[in-house]
Parts: sequence; structure tokens; C-alpha cells
Amino acid sequence: MLADLPIWLPDFAHTFLSVLFEGIPFLLLGSLISGFVDVFISSERIARLLPKNETLSILICGWLGMIFPMCECGSVVVIRRFIKKGLPLSSAVTYMLSTPIVSPIVALSTFAAFKGQQAWEMTILRLCFGFGVAVIIGFIVQRIPASSILVAGTMGEATGRRRAGLSVATAPPSGSVDFSGMAQSASFGQKMLLATQSATADFLDVTFFLIIGTVIAAAFKTAINQSAILPFATNTPVAIVALMILRSALSICSTTDAFIIATFRTFPFAAKLAALVFGPLFDFKLFWLYSMLFKKRAVIALGIGLFIGIFLVCWRIAPFFMAQKPF
Amino acid sequence: MNAAFRRWLPCITLAAWSAILLISWATGHMRSLLTPDFRIGAVAAGIVMGLMALVFLLFPADAACCSAAECGHSFFKSSAGKVITFLILLLPITAAAMFNKDSYSANVIKNTIAVTDATQLGFKPRNTPIAPVDMPLPTKNDPNNAPATAQTTPAAQTTPPAPAQTAQASQQPPAPQDYLQRTPDGHIVAEVLDLLYAAQDNALRKDFEGKPVELIGQLMPDATNNPNGKRFKAVRMFMTCCAADARPVAVLAESGDKPSLPEMTWIKITGTATFPVENGKRIAILKADKVEKCNPPEETMLY
Repeated sequence: MLADLPIWLPDFAHTFLSVLFEGIPFLLLGSLISGFVDVFISSERIARLLPKNETLSILICGWLGMIFPMCECGSVVVIRRFIKKGLPLSSAVTYMLSTPIVSPIVALSTFAAFKGQQAWEMTILRLCFGFGVAVIIGFIVQRIPASSILVAGTMGEATGRRRAGLSVATAPPSGSVDFSGMAQSASFGQKMLLATQSATADFLDVTFFLIIGTVIAAAFKTAINQSAILPFATNTPVAIVALMILRSALSICSTTDAFIIATFRTFPFAAKLAALVFGPLFDFKLFWLYSMLFKKRAVIALGIGLFIGIFLVCWRIAPFFMAQKPF
Repeated sequence: MNAAFRRWLPCITLAAWSAILLISWATGHMRSLLTPDFRIGAVAAGIVMGLMALVFLLFPADAACCSAAECGHSFFKSSAGKVITFLILLLPITAAAMFNKDSYSANVIKNTIAVTDATQLGFKPRNTPIAPVDMPLPTKNDPNNAPATAQTTPAAQTTPPAPAQTAQASQQPPAPQDYLQRTPDGHIVAEVLDLLYAAQDNALRKDFEGKPVELIGQLMPDATNNPNGKRFKAVRMFMTCCAADARPVAVLAESGDKPSLPEMTWIKITGTATFPVENGKRIAILKADKVEKCNPPEETMLY
């Protein structure tokens, strides 16, 4: 199945570069927006915009990513701030889950990546499905006491931990500063500088995972005979599960994942949709990031619930998207 | 050490990425990686990353959010993995830029099922003509037959039109001489996709069937549809967005003397376009009079 290294290395490099070059502009745009939102728009201002009615707030938070887009890594950091500022947990969780999918950048990148592969359908379904899942989880969280979900100390001083190479330290390091306070009191020039630095940190952080994901995708494209994976691609439930797991293992950013998933042309539409909805909500890196905020039991329950729910919905709708439209 | 990680490593990484993107564009390597729509974004990203690197170069990062307690950026926070992270951000892209040969080998084409039937593409590529059924596309010999919705054909151009040009072309009825470019000796200059679509489209087929055609592609053997052993494939890679989604598209060619050239050699085939029905399906076969080695076209990918 694997070809000789010297033969496929140039092919691998060709695929690897093309996916990176295609995805990087979107990732950079997302990081810049994230950095500028981080510095110029305080979490208090966003919280003030939300209605007092919690149900209405959840529904609005489901679409908030269209105005305040944030990648999945950034959204975890943002809602941590939201929760500290007193935003209801249900609204914060809804925003955290929806914003990696319900965002103009993700819509744009999904449409571009799936050009020629039912791009409109994929883009609209991905956004609507992402919104629906986030809102449902928000309503579930609304009925659960925050103390049974949140890690002790999330609201107050932190514990500090480190897992799987990802430092998710929540404890203030010595000499640490209050970034939010600093950003608010800074001059415009300083804010621009802070925004650039924050955007760069976001960009490099997520690019790390994008590179790993692209390596796997490029190896898949060039070293593996496509006929060998046809059994996975032709069996719809197997294809859905396979792509959902693969997308989560790749841990790529939601702003660029469509470009990688779109390359799996032999897989059915429903499998790609499932991967593009499930991945930004729950992947390898998010498991560790969520653990910063939520109890391990809650994180695992979230992962299992999302996996089963998204699988069932996509399996159910699969027959409607089996055939490519003839030209 | 912290200053190095907060300031200089991001600066170097951004500068290196910017350089790779911009050099790739300036040297033309990007042509084989991205369609024109995406090249603009990649170049813009290269420029922006260069500017961001300048920010880190000129201003100390002593007030970055990564000094703050709530920061979640692992790149700056992880003490043990900083160097490894930095290497992963730089080494693979640098190595890939060095090993990239701007095209796929025969291995990828063998691993991917080549498209020889245009219906398998599922959609019309941007440069494929849209002609009403049973209404032939105008040719140089038929100047009064210009359909209102027609666009420029791939055969009519050596390089694809810019999006603006395509939009303009769709608004104005093109002049007859825009169609079906011919060589000085009268052969229609065709692309692989032209003949694949002609096999499925009655109107388009009339423009090619039985006429002298010149076509450039990469030589590959044909193992599936080769009853007399005289057939081979002229293959081009067709991409929608980037090289990663590229698929081989192939037209069958038939000649008395099978070309004795290595696989993936760029060949120019001159011959007659035919569209026989085999196994209940109409396919395109180029009856070759001459097969010769040639240089790769300016755009190696079709899109």
C-alpha cells in the first residue's frame, strides 16, 4: 500500500504545500480577527449586548460567531473570561461550541473548499447544523448546575496543569499581567501592537496543529492507493465514523479543515458534513483545552453525546445527498 | 530565553513563511499548487506575515497576552516544547518547498482512478463551454452561429482567463475567432477536458468529431480499455482549488506504433478526434497520426 519513499516524497511535498498555501490565508484572517476582537472588544461589552432572558441569550449566542468570529482554540479562552465576568454558563458554552462553525470565515472557507462538490449545500448545512448542536447543548447545560460541570477554581484562582505537550496552565505565572485590563487602558498604537501579538500567537498555535493535520492528509493522498479505502468510502455509516475520527485526530482549525476534508472525494457528502461539524466541536486538542474549564466526566460525556448525535443525524440525511448533481 | 521565544522565534517563523509564500509566487511554483483565485490569498498572506514579522522585529513583545494568566497560547506557554514547536512550524514547510517538483508522479495517477468520462467530474469546470443541446458551437468556419450563453472554450486559449475576463466573456457574445484555436497547419488545439466533454455533449462533439486535433498530455499506459494493445492515455491533472484535490483526467489515444517513451513524458498528439460507443458508453479516442515528445505547457494543471 505504501509506495517507496523516494518516489512519493515529491508528491507528498506537492500535496502538503498546496493544502498549506490554500489554508493559511484563511487561518491568518481568522487569527487577525480573533486578535483584534480580543484587544478592541472587551468580554464585558459582548456580555452587555446579550438579553437577560437565558433562553434568548442561548439562541443569540448561537449566532454570535457571525459578528465575533473566533477559532475553537480562541473560543475556549474567551468563554473562560465570559464565565468570570458572570455570563450564564449555558450562553458561554453555546458561544464556545458555535463560534468555530457559525462564522463568516468558516462559511467562506467551506464554500471555497467545496467548490464543485455541492458547496452551497455543504456551507449552509454545516453552519445550521453547528448552530443547532450548540444551542441544544446550551439548553442541556442550562438545566445542569454549573458546579457539576466546571472544574473547581474556574471562577476563582486556578490550578495549573499540563497535558500532552499542551500547556494549559491556568495559574498565573510569576510576573503575569492582567491582559484585559492592560488592553483596555492602552493607547491605540499599543492596542494595535497587542492585537498583532495576540493574532500571531493564535496563528502559530493553530498552525502547529494544521501542519500535523496536513502531513496526515498529504500522506493519505499520495502514499495510499485510493482503491484501498474505497470500502470505507462506499459504506455510508463506516465512512461517517471514519471521517469523524480522522477529523478529530487531525485537530485542524475549523477555518481550514474544509480544505483537507474536501480532498476525500471518494467519501460521501454526509461523512464530510459529519466530520466538519463534529471536528470543530470536539477533537484531540479540544479535549485538553476543554479540560481547562470542565470536569473530565463532563468533557467525555460531551464528546460521546456529540459523536452519537452527529453520526445519527448525518446517517439519516445521507440518502438525500448520495448522488453528485449532474452537470 | 523568554524574550527569544516571545519575540524572535515568532519573528523568524513569520518571516520564513512569508518568504516561502512570496518566493513560490514570484518563481511561478504557486501555479502548480493553487488555482488563480487562491493564489491571490496566498500572496496577500505572505505580505501580511512579512508585516507581522516586522512588528516583532521592531517592537519588543514585553506586553504580549502570553504574559497574562488567562492566555491559552501553547506555543508561547509550553516550556519544554517550544523548540520542537518552532521546528515543526518551520522544518516541514521548508523541506516540502525543497522537495516539491511542481507536479505529481505516475505513482499518484496510478493510485487515483483517472477520469475518462466527464460525467464523473460531476460539474462543469469554469472554462468548459456551455452550449445549448443540439446547437453547435460556432467555429471559424461558422461565424453566424454564436450562442448567447457561450463562454470561451479551453481550446481557444493557452492560458485560462482571469475571473474578470470570464465574467466579461459571459456578458458579451464572443467573436467567432475566439473559438477553437488552430495550429498553422489547421489542427484544432484541444485540451483533454474538451474531448471528454465533447463525448457527452452533442453540440460540442460536432466541433471535434472527425477533425484534425492537436492535444498535449502526459503519457500513461491504458490497462482497462485496450483491446488491441495499441491504446494509451494522454493524462492531465485537473484541480478545483489546489493540487491536493487534483484528479487525473485522461483521453484515450490510439496509434499504430505505440510510443516508446517513459511514463509521464509530456507528449503532443496530432490526429483525428473520434467518439465511438463502447460498452454502451460514448468515449473520446484520438486516432493519432503522430506522437512526439514536447515541453510541458505553461500551466501543467487544468482547472
